[in-house]
Amino acid sequence: MRNPKIRGLIAAGATLAAVTASAQVAPTPTPRPVIAPVTRPPGGPGGVDWAAAVGGLRQSGGGNSPVGRGLNQAAVDKTQLPILLPADPDLMGGARIYSFGDYYSITANLPGARVSLTGTAQTMPLPATSKLNLPNIGPEQLVVQRTVDGQLASFVRYGVLYTAELRCDAPSDTRCRTETYVRSLVAKSTVVVMGKAARLAAGLGA
Amino acid sequence: MRAPLIFLILIILAVLALVGYNSGWFGTPATGPGPTSAGDILPGAPVSGGPGAESDEPVGDGGLEQLPDEPQGQTPVDPVDTPDVPAAGTFGHFPAGELLPKSGSGYLDRTTWSPQLCFPFAEDAFANSQVYGPGGGMGPKDKPSQCDATNYSLPWRDNFCESRGHASPLCANGKGHQGQDIRPATCKKDKHWVVAAEDGIITDMGTYTVTLTGSAPPHRVYRYLHMRMNQLAVTEGAVVKAGDNLGKASNDFGGTPTTIHMHFEIRAGVAGTSTDGKAVKLHTFLPPYQSLVAAYDRKRAGQACQ
Repeated sequence: MRNPKIRGLIAAGATLAAVTASAQVAPTPTPRPVIAPVTRPPGGPGGVDWAAAVGGLRQSGGGNSPVGRGLNQAAVDKTQLPILLPADPDLMGGARIYSFGDYYSITANLPGARVSLTGTAQTMPLPATSKLNLPNIGPEQLVVQRTVDGQLASFVRYGVLYTAELRCDAPSDTRCRTETYVRSLVAKSTVVVMGKAARLAAGLGA
Repeated sequence: MRAPLIFLILIILAVLALVGYNSGWFGTPATGPGPTSAGDILPGAPVSGGPGAESDEPVGDGGLEQLPDEPQGQTPVDPVDTPDVPAAGTFGHFPAGELLPKSGSGYLDRTTWSPQLCFPFAEDAFANSQVYGPGGGMGPKDKPSQCDATNYSLPWRDNFCESRGHASPLCANGKGHQGQDIRPATCKKDKHWVVAAEDGIITDMGTYTVTLTGSAPPHRVYRYLHMRMNQLAVTEGAVVKAGDNLGKASNDFGGTPTTIHMHFEIRAGVAGTSTDGKAVKLHTFLPPYQSLVAAYDRKRAGQACQ
């Protein structure tokens, strides 16, 4: 160590080692997680196109359709959205509705499967850098997604984001392995039901 | 004569520095497989000697949660490197989007989609891959048991977007794992409680799924898969508070057992742009990992969910 050359050599080596190590250990500052915001669409209650929804209500019998009559009326009245149902009295006969006012979820049973229908006017914006890989976006922004246990369809009508989802008890159930059933469910979702809150928002009176 | 000697010494010192880093001589958490450091291991979390397996029954689906004849989806590739590192003071976990090598491409955005999430297990738990970890269908051949200690150790690992044939529009090719797989505290089924992620209503129950819809906007939908369905604490229509018991982690999967874990999904309505530039709103799967990490940090800090 007395030799200045050796000391210099060690110092140079240590410097190189430190540089090498720091290149490994110095972490890039952790990006602060972004908290997802919620957007409430502008233009009327919840961004709903009430004029179009009332048109849909009239086309489907003005609220006199037998479909959906079995739903809990208090929950229907609480819902501030046009409730959209498939024109399928058998399916809807035993359906249950769970309403949060600005969101609803309806569950119905099929032999060996279940159906869920939801509606909301609220969405969360995706980061601009995140693009959705959706090869087939249909009319009304219809998108069908294969889930672990079935098929999930979502679409936008009257300014409301609706979903129709099929879930099968057995993973091998053909209804859940193809899009046919869930697409037919969307196609026959034509019955509009409005409870008190929705009628008020639509200007129809309670 | 001296120049090669100097060069040799420099190389040796550089190698020593690298070895020192990987061994934690500099006090920096290693990012390789296995526990990051003693300080990162949670109390009670097994790190060696196995997690006390009750049984290691055959796993019908290899943890894949899909049928054997369904395509697995994307060709597995290494994930894109991310500059992120676990924040100081948190527990050992890989950054969001950093999947196991050759298990798919992770989703790298760091958005916390459920900021107030209640960690969905009552006890400690381990987020990692069912398919590519020990005992999984694509796991290491020399570790055939799902109860291998590696699966019940830190660090956590994201597996949203892991290679699958199911739709997941935020993943690189539009397909991938739709949630996060989480193993309970030990490799024992029907023992560890799964709890409500937020206040809400149980809006659906299938043969191996439970759906919780959050009461607060935007009414996130949480899906829990593979609990012991005949021992649930809730029924459809139940109003629950964050942290309430729902059921016990198990391996139910419609008749064919999967690995002992809970598949956890967060879904919600989102507005974005498709890869071909179309504005679109849809209801879809959101990456749960960042929210789970934050929730687990809160849990470890003793913060109650309610």
